[in-house]
Amino acid sequence: MTAPSERSTGALQPAGSGLLGSLGRLFLQQLETSRAVYGVFVLTLYYSLRGESNRPAFFRQMYEIGNRSLVFLSIVMGFIGMILVYQGGLQTQRVVPDLSLLGATFLQLLVRDLAASICALMLATRVGAGIAAEIGSMVVTEQVDALRMCATDPIDYLIRPRFLACLSMFGALVVVAASVAFLAGMWTAHTFFGINPRVFANVSMVRVGDLAIGLTKCLAYGAAIPVISGYCGLTTFGGSEGVGAATTRAVVNSSLAVIALNFVISGAGYLVFG
Amino acid sequence: MPAETSSGPSHALAGLAQRAGDWLGLIGGFGMLFVEIVRRTLRRDFDRSEFLRNLYRMGIKSLPIVIVTALFTGGIMVIQAAPIVQRYGAYGLLGWGAGFGTLREIAPLLTALMINGRVGANNTAELGTMAVTEQIDALRALAIDPVGFLVAPRFLAIVITLFLSTIFSDALALLGAAYAGLGFLGVEPAVFYRGLTTGLLGFGDVAHGLQKSIVFGIVIGLSSCHYGLSTQGGAPGVGRSVNATVVASAAGIFVLDYLLSFALS
Repeated sequence: MTAPSERSTGALQPAGSGLLGSLGRLFLQQLETSRAVYGVFVLTLYYSLRGESNRPAFFRQMYEIGNRSLVFLSIVMGFIGMILVYQGGLQTQRVVPDLSLLGATFLQLLVRDLAASICALMLATRVGAGIAAEIGSMVVTEQVDALRMCATDPIDYLIRPRFLACLSMFGALVVVAASVAFLAGMWTAHTFFGINPRVFANVSMVRVGDLAIGLTKCLAYGAAIPVISGYCGLTTFGGSEGVGAATTRAVVNSSLAVIALNFVISGAGYLVFG
Repeated sequence: MPAETSSGPSHALAGLAQRAGDWLGLIGGFGMLFVEIVRRTLRRDFDRSEFLRNLYRMGIKSLPIVIVTALFTGGIMVIQAAPIVQRYGAYGLLGWGAGFGTLREIAPLLTALMINGRVGANNTAELGTMAVTEQIDALRALAIDPVGFLVAPRFLAIVITLFLSTIFSDALALLGAAYAGLGFLGVEPAVFYRGLTTGLLGFGDVAHGLQKSIVFGIVIGLSSCHYGLSTQGGAPGVGRSVNATVVASAAGIFVLDYLLSFALS
């Protein structure tokens, strides 16, 4: 790192040099981005409540975001279910020989956290990158400027249908993906540890609090991914290089948002529900 | 597959065959690119300065997101383990519970996903832009081998970046977990670290995660280079291939994670 140079350059150097300067600049940039994203979010909410409905776009986005992610999410969640049950079972066997609660614990973990969070990370890569690439190409080819010329706000016309579609489809996707993960886990438990599927399918540990935390996460992720990727798409500049950069930013920022939101909601949920 | 007739079922069959053919073509493309890269690497026939430059851009510049991801991940693991730990009062086992999941699965997996989003997508965007603006053809016209000059250094840099980032995020995730344990459960970090080191976890668990990270790095490197080189169609094309890369790498990471869990245990 650049700590030694900071001392030698002294006060004559313009602000923003050295380790502290670059850290501060990073922080200010992040703050600026967060404010802009918040602005987009508020505008999207405003248009969702006030603007006239654009049903064809909404349904097209529902199909694009929901149906077309289904296979990808099912494959990923199926493998996640098999991995977690296999690894968890192996590790638990080292401490307690009784595996009858494996299914109940797995289901609780799935409902509380994993179903929504892993789905959100996958959707951030698939849908987030897709939204940013699409809107970014529109910006670069000046289609968004054309929209503005027609007195249409791109947030209303482009981001709002994606926002509503993602919000409404995300919950459904999570339910399907969680079922796939649970079935895959059940199969793994039966094959490798000889656990009867009836014993494995045990919902006794899932409480109302777990369900509430899971649903809150669904809503938060479903809202965050389209807004952040839409913002990254709208702020594209430059040619094809810019589109690539915008797509990268969309994936990174939405994934980070998912992880940070997960921490906040899990922590709050633990403090509220125990 | 014979599907010349145009009736309904055989039409669907033709579509399926087309899909299967595309998949086989993709896998073949990955394999051939891999062989080319390995050959260049073994003969040390790749651009050294380009390799170091990419290592800096990919490795050092990704540190902030790796740090943030790892700290949050450790915290999340402890919060998820908290109800179980409290029910059995097994505070000494918190380190083991959070540690084994973090070291074996979650830290390598999440680091790979974040590196996939940042480095893999960026790499595809760069190579895609070069392909679209015919810079790669220009290289060929100058008799410069694009694989040795562009692809092999990037591929090696991605694999090394992911391996080192995983070591880094293992350590940071455990740090985050220790302090989340202190904050949410009142478990002292010393107790947490003792739970990690009392013998239930060994170096094998760390090595398990690190071996996975190498394979994940190979997946990300291959798919980002392959999709980048085969980009077509201007700026929208670059966006499409970045999208395709992150999706393919993410799916590949999860599938290989499953297979490796068996192969390594």
